[in-house]
Amino acid sequence: MAVFAVLLALAGPAGVARAAAPQPAHPAPAAAVPKVLRVGTEGVYPPFSYHDGNGNFTGYDVELIQQIGKRLGVQVQLVQTPFDSMFAALESGRIDLVANEISPTPERKAKYDLSAPYISTTGVVVVASGNKDITSLADIKGKRAGQSLTSNWSQVAKKAGATIVPIQDMDKAMTALAQNRVQVVVNDELAVRNYLNTTGNKQVKIVSTTSDKTDSVFAARKGSGYMPQINAQIAAMRSDGALQQLYDKYFGTKAQQQEKQAGNRSSWQIVRDNLWPMLLATLRTTIPLTAISFVLGLAIALLIALMRRSTIAIVSWLARAYISIIRGTPLLVQLFIVFYGLPQLGLKFSPFGAAILALSLNVGGYAAEVIRSAIAAVPQGQWEAAETIGMDYRTTLRRVVLPQAARIAVPPLGNTLVSLVKDTSLTSVILVADLFQKAQNAAAPTFEYMGLYTAAAAYYWVICFVLNALQGRLEKRLNRYVVR
Amino acid sequence: MTTPQSSPRTPLVEVTSMAKRFGDHEVIKDVSFEVGKGTVTVVIGPSGSGKTTLLRGLNALELPDSGAVRIGDVDVDFGQIHPGRGGRLAKPDRELVRRYRAQSGMVFQSHNLFPHRTALQNVTEGPIVVQHRPAAEADDQARKLLEKVGLTGHVDKYPYQLSGGQQQRVGIARALALEPELLLLDEPTSALDPELVGGVLAVIRALAQEGRTMVIVTHEIRFARQVADQVLFIDEGLVVERGTPEQVLEHPTKERTRTFLQRLLEA
Ligand SMILES: Nc1ncnc2c1ncn2[C@@H]1O[C@H](COP(=O)(O)OP(=O)(O)OP(=O)(O)O)[C@@H](O)[C@H]1O
Ligand SMILES: [Mg+2]
Repeated sequence: MAVFAVLLALAGPAGVARAAAPQPAHPAPAAAVPKVLRVGTEGVYPPFSYHDGNGNFTGYDVELIQQIGKRLGVQVQLVQTPFDSMFAALESGRIDLVANEISPTPERKAKYDLSAPYISTTGVVVVASGNKDITSLADIKGKRAGQSLTSNWSQVAKKAGATIVPIQDMDKAMTALAQNRVQVVVNDELAVRNYLNTTGNKQVKIVSTTSDKTDSVFAARKGSGYMPQINAQIAAMRSDGALQQLYDKYFGTKAQQQEKQAGNRSSWQIVRDNLWPMLLATLRTTIPLTAISFVLGLAIALLIALMRRSTIAIVSWLARAYISIIRGTPLLVQLFIVFYGLPQLGLKFSPFGAAILALSLNVGGYAAEVIRSAIAAVPQGQWEAAETIGMDYRTTLRRVVLPQAARIAVPPLGNTLVSLVKDTSLTSVILVADLFQKAQNAAAPTFEYMGLYTAAAAYYWVICFVLNALQGRLEKRLNRYVVR
Repeated sequence: MTTPQSSPRTPLVEVTSMAKRFGDHEVIKDVSFEVGKGTVTVVIGPSGSGKTTLLRGLNALELPDSGAVRIGDVDVDFGQIHPGRGGRLAKPDRELVRRYRAQSGMVFQSHNLFPHRTALQNVTEGPIVVQHRPAAEADDQARKLLEKVGLTGHVDKYPYQLSGGQQQRVGIARALALEPELLLLDEPTSALDPELVGGVLAVIRALAQEGRTMVIVTHEIRFARQVADQVLFIDEGLVVERGTPEQVLEHPTKERTRTFLQRLLEA
């Protein structure tokens, strides 16, 4: 399919590139740390990895890997990655290293190159303030625990007999706890203390610590070969005091005071400070993403609709299969296949390119049926009238059939477009820095969910409102030749 | 168009043994006739007898399965032309059919005007888009044609703003704009309210007086008597009777023709 090839070529400034070469089975010889070290980190996990008031990455893990990078003379490029797709991103070669409080489980030791520990912490059991049932890890048996599925704390809670309720970020888990949707959260002591200090949240409390200490390490693909050099820098920082300094900066009492001040901004101030960055993300990412995907999607849809009408059985069957697959699978899964799956076949896209590819293929599937039925609604006599004056198929489509089909198709296509605007918010899971990701980044360290997500909702609503108004005008224009 | 091999004596149209079937249904079995240049042929026959199919065959909207048709200097042996996969013709055949189709203009029973174009644009569409004539020239010609069919002052109206009779007259102007040798009209008045029929027939009558070669399917016997040089009575895909209006309409020799005319008069 030619259009598909063109789309692949168009998708993203990076274009198509070869994925990482297959990894050797035996331990690789020491290799140089990449000149540009791409480091995956959540960006919504304070105080280890989050965004400061200016929207820049910061946090203990972030600063540590930045310092290590500086000492090694390589450039550290931070890639915001949701924790649940962190290792998929590592394996598909989108990042070279994970700096996100990774604990060295046996499974991870087997699958990845892990660094020496750079910080140790213990787990804490957190419950709602009014809860008197749970006083230790032993009491959480049979209770509902809000945990990120891929995080180590989820294993701890599970081993203690809790039912795991998947909640991606620690801070969302705390909110669920306060709202009594879960009864317990097991998480990192430092992260929890930071949360309590910055929010002043009195609705949850720490009731006990877990017995075991947990280390945090960096992770790279197996056979990367450069872990020894990173380990050497961790050791150097430990002995020259840089590591301690960093620890004090984030976990000393002074640090907490500073964080507290930041946390004392009023809700309105937090929202106001983020209105402009969110607007920028809307203008730079959400709107272009929508516009480009819609235009490409319509082109695909038209092609599929025409294929579907073909009298050649295999051609119309292919179109039917395409529509069925697109409409029968979740967009989220399609995004993951394009972004994390295709690299394993050697097709790698930038986040923006992958989002455009997945969204336009998706729009193509939904709009194809709309266009097909709009074309079918144009009377056969119109085709014949065009044929009898000597028009060929393409001219007939362009000058006679599509203008009339457009009138029929515009209302349902308007719905497709509005859905697309909203669906762009899903692309934050494939690392696209869209409006919704900005809202998430701002909400994580400030815990201002209501205000920030409401502001994001308002932006989406404004876009859809404007599109609806434009659609009304277009419909009026297309209806001018019809009896009123 | 000047046709080198045509003298006043050679007919403009020669249909030889045309046949067309849809599945098992032989709609046109074996039809042959000629149409002289500048003459009017009226085709009559019961419903389902194949009149529309015959006319569509002359415009290649339907490709006959066999038989030959010559219109002017374009001669097509349909026995040699077969659509391939997906109903497409091979390139030389496509070009031949395109030239064949350009010889005639079609006026549909239900006019099939383009609803999103004004009367003027409906008429200029073919000349500008298909024949690539300059827009100003096509515009001029279209205004003249619309004037001829009595639509001065309606040129910028959309079809929905016109009456059925006016729409049908735009349809005639649209067919004429491509300057075909032959004009085909399929029951041009049967979809119209009775009070609108007269205007359309008057236009056709004027065209006949101008010396337009036409093949008209119609049930208007009185009109046929006035304009026809030749009448074909078709039944079950065969030409049952053929002759002057006098012969076929006044003194039919075949029983089937007589019953048909009888029924038409009673209706
Ligand atoms: N595309 C087609 N596919 C199948 N059958 C067809 C098709 N076109 C016409 N027919 C059949 O061929 C027969 C002749 O049709 P045609 O339209 O030529 O008749 P007609 O003489 O014009 O009738 P009427 O006076 O009702 O217009 C009819 O039985 C019709 O059902
Ligand atoms: Mg008919």
